[in-house]
Amino acid sequence: MVSRRSLIAGAFGLAAGSALSQISLRERRDPDAPVLVVLFLRGGCDGLNTVVPHGEDEYHRLRPSLALRRRDVLDLDGFFGFHPALGSLIPHYREGRLAVVHAVGSQDRTRSHFEAMSAMERGVAAASEHASSGWVARYLNERASGPSPLRSIAFSNVLPDSMRGGTSGIALESLKQYRLRGEDAQARRFRRSLAALYASGEDVLTQAGRATLEALDLVENLPAAPSASEPYPKSDLGRAFAQTAQLIHAGVGLEVACLEKGGWDTHVAQGATSGWHASLLEDLARSLSAFAADIADHLNRVTVVVMTEFGRRAYENAGLGTDHGRASVMLLLGEGVAGGTVHGDWPGLTPESLEEPGDLRVTTDYRAVLSEVLRRRMALERVEAVLPGFGGQGIGAVA
Amino acid sequence: MNRRELLQAALVGAGASFLAGCGPGLRSLVGSKSLGVAELPPHPEPLARTLNRVAFGFNLRVAEEVRSVGRERWIARQLDANEDEDPWLALQLQRLDVFNLAPAELRDLPEGEVVIQLQQAAVLRSVYGRNQLLERMVEFWSDHFNIYARKRFAAWRKPLDEVSVIRKHALGKFPDLLFQSAKSPAMLEYLDNDANLKGKPNENYARELMELHTLGVNGGYTQQDVQEVARCFTGWTIENRFGRQRGTFRFDPSQHDFEEKTVLGHRIPAGGGVEDGERVLQILATHPNTARFIAGKIVDRFLGDAHDEWRDRLGELYLQTGGDIKAMLRPLLLSQTLLDAPPIPKRPFDFVVSSLRALSATTDGRGVLRYLVDMGQPSYEWPMPDGYPTASEAWTGSLLGRWNFALDLLRGEVPGTTVPALEGIKPIEATLGRRAGSDSLSALLLRQDLRREEALALCLCSPEFQWR
Repeated sequence: MVSRRSLIAGAFGLAAGSALSQISLRERRDPDAPVLVVLFLRGGCDGLNTVVPHGEDEYHRLRPSLALRRRDVLDLDGFFGFHPALGSLIPHYREGRLAVVHAVGSQDRTRSHFEAMSAMERGVAAASEHASSGWVARYLNERASGPSPLRSIAFSNVLPDSMRGGTSGIALESLKQYRLRGEDAQARRFRRSLAALYASGEDVLTQAGRATLEALDLVENLPAAPSASEPYPKSDLGRAFAQTAQLIHAGVGLEVACLEKGGWDTHVAQGATSGWHASLLEDLARSLSAFAADIADHLNRVTVVVMTEFGRRAYENAGLGTDHGRASVMLLLGEGVAGGTVHGDWPGLTPESLEEPGDLRVTTDYRAVLSEVLRRRMALERVEAVLPGFGGQGIGAVA
Repeated sequence: MNRRELLQAALVGAGASFLAGCGPGLRSLVGSKSLGVAELPPHPEPLARTLNRVAFGFNLRVAEEVRSVGRERWIARQLDANEDEDPWLALQLQRLDVFNLAPAELRDLPEGEVVIQLQQAAVLRSVYGRNQLLERMVEFWSDHFNIYARKRFAAWRKPLDEVSVIRKHALGKFPDLLFQSAKSPAMLEYLDNDANLKGKPNENYARELMELHTLGVNGGYTQQDVQEVARCFTGWTIENRFGRQRGTFRFDPSQHDFEEKTVLGHRIPAGGGVEDGERVLQILATHPNTARFIAGKIVDRFLGDAHDEWRDRLGELYLQTGGDIKAMLRPLLLSQTLLDAPPIPKRPFDFVVSSLRALSATTDGRGVLRYLVDMGQPSYEWPMPDGYPTASEAWTGSLLGRWNFALDLLRGEVPGTTVPALEGIKPIEATLGRRAGSDSLSALLLRQDLRREEALALCLCSPEFQWR
């Protein structure tokens, strides 16, 4: 048990709370600070039908119904092509702002969503490895700059595992909803009381209370966003990107935004040029493209990483879907990436090249891509502190 | 870094951030004197702790009941789960179509309405149910055998699953729960086992059955086992033929792979029909790793932490009693360990239900639902089969939602919900079940001339009310 003295001191933490909230937004602003946007596609995005190896005969043979025909894909380099739903990303690819990494994944072979996601969100090779915290949280701990409570935001109801272990992560569904009830004097008094209650205490929830109160202050004083030149889709993802852009424009000290899009677990009736997978891709592409246009002035310091926990089986199943697989794709968007190229080491889809029982082999560790982004775009010095146990090199996906 | 190294780092003063990031194994140390951590909630008295763990939170009337009957006798009664249902609750539930219409008629209700009614029932039962331990275990098994009500027709299938699978066996035997779940149309739909066909099996259910429902991810099965189990379950589907009673379980031999299979080293001979899948369930239900996995989850839910000794003990009980859930719970609930265990952070559902109980509120269970959406835990809407997370770190974003709920509740602005005057009761006593709260809370309530509503709201918003 703790001393009475420290408990009482907690009650008078009121003074400390209000002093903190007096540091203005202006003082927190750092116009050159890098920003990372991580978009996690949950469910296992089928990389083979996203960035299609249309030049490989095996692809067409393994997926009699699901394969995209050569004439339907948007060719990138004669071998790979984008799914047609990714049309809005073509200019960004051609102009060097978008890079693709193929045959990328983790070392987790369980093909379990939770294990593979857990591995990637904790930044380890496979789920069996020990790390209680998430890699985004470790990155923020390493940086230790910027006191803004809006350093790291997740546009989601639940804080993702990648942000666990940090003291600053906030999960928001929408910036507009981020208000405490009431505008009158009583509401203000209530707010001060909350600040007193949460002033001391180092457990997870009390720290979260303090972060919430500070975030409320900042979000309520956000400047209105400039109008977007390319409209965002009216989807959750579109909205999440739009609000991320708003926070970037406002310079509130955002360092990492974690976005997510679910629904990629296409076990049955996946569709090819149209259908389930295609509509997911369309939302993804239009959201990314709108975001790139919205923050064009900031693209020199913003990097978007799109990743998924695993890809899907090379051959289709009886339900015209695909089962859990291994390697998939990653996308990188930003002016600092080596765009216009499909990076990685393509292992092929012949029976000998596939990993039992028929999955695209992982030839690039996802951490190689993350380590490059963190080192070259996010000013990280000690990569090993964020990706423990990863001693590998990058793959040149970041310029 | 293993857990020991993480702890060393924390002690050397790497800062609060490490503690905040601790995995569940270190949570028990956060309150210990040796770490000198400031201000966790004051340790609760046995009565409050019991009502927080065995029931959905402190309530003045139930506290009186526990006092007069005696804590241990009350726990024993809760294990029997034989209390007559609250007549008012029974009336509210009768008004809900979801549990009173046959599945075929239920189909006429829009999906949104079905889900809302399911959620309403969950709130009502958790707040007002007299068999509180039953409701706690219903919550537990709903997470364990998670079904996402927004997938295809799962919403219309879920009420039957709720009644005949979860509620019926929540305090029964795990093998029965497992067998009923496997044949539940809601589960068949949710994990695609109804599309599991001879020649091209669908692995979704087979995998989650072993990873999440029985053995656990380290339970010793292989990718090969997943495929073999999937073959065993081919032909398991949902009746939809002309003129038959639709929506029930059906075994379709024409889609079943009758060849020989090998599952976890057991040879399943060729020629078996629905028995193949049943044999798999039997193998899994009696497997020592299942005993261990289920025991571990129960221990974690009630003690807030992994606890090897209790896990081993309950695992043994599982094997001795054929998976008798009551037999496993009894020693744990009556133990001193439960009383001494560190606090567990409340998830949003817990917070809302315990708030309504603490204030003896009257609610239709419907008006509170949008607050649960804001906080991120609307029942039956977690898409992944692992169920809503239990780690505190997952819920740090829900605080604003909780504060707003408390404010609206005390202002009478939560639809369909009213709070009685509670005259003559001290706010801290009513909400936290003890005489004094933390010093900061007590100081606040003394220092200002607060209206009763504001004082109660502060109690609900306080750090200590976020723990159980």
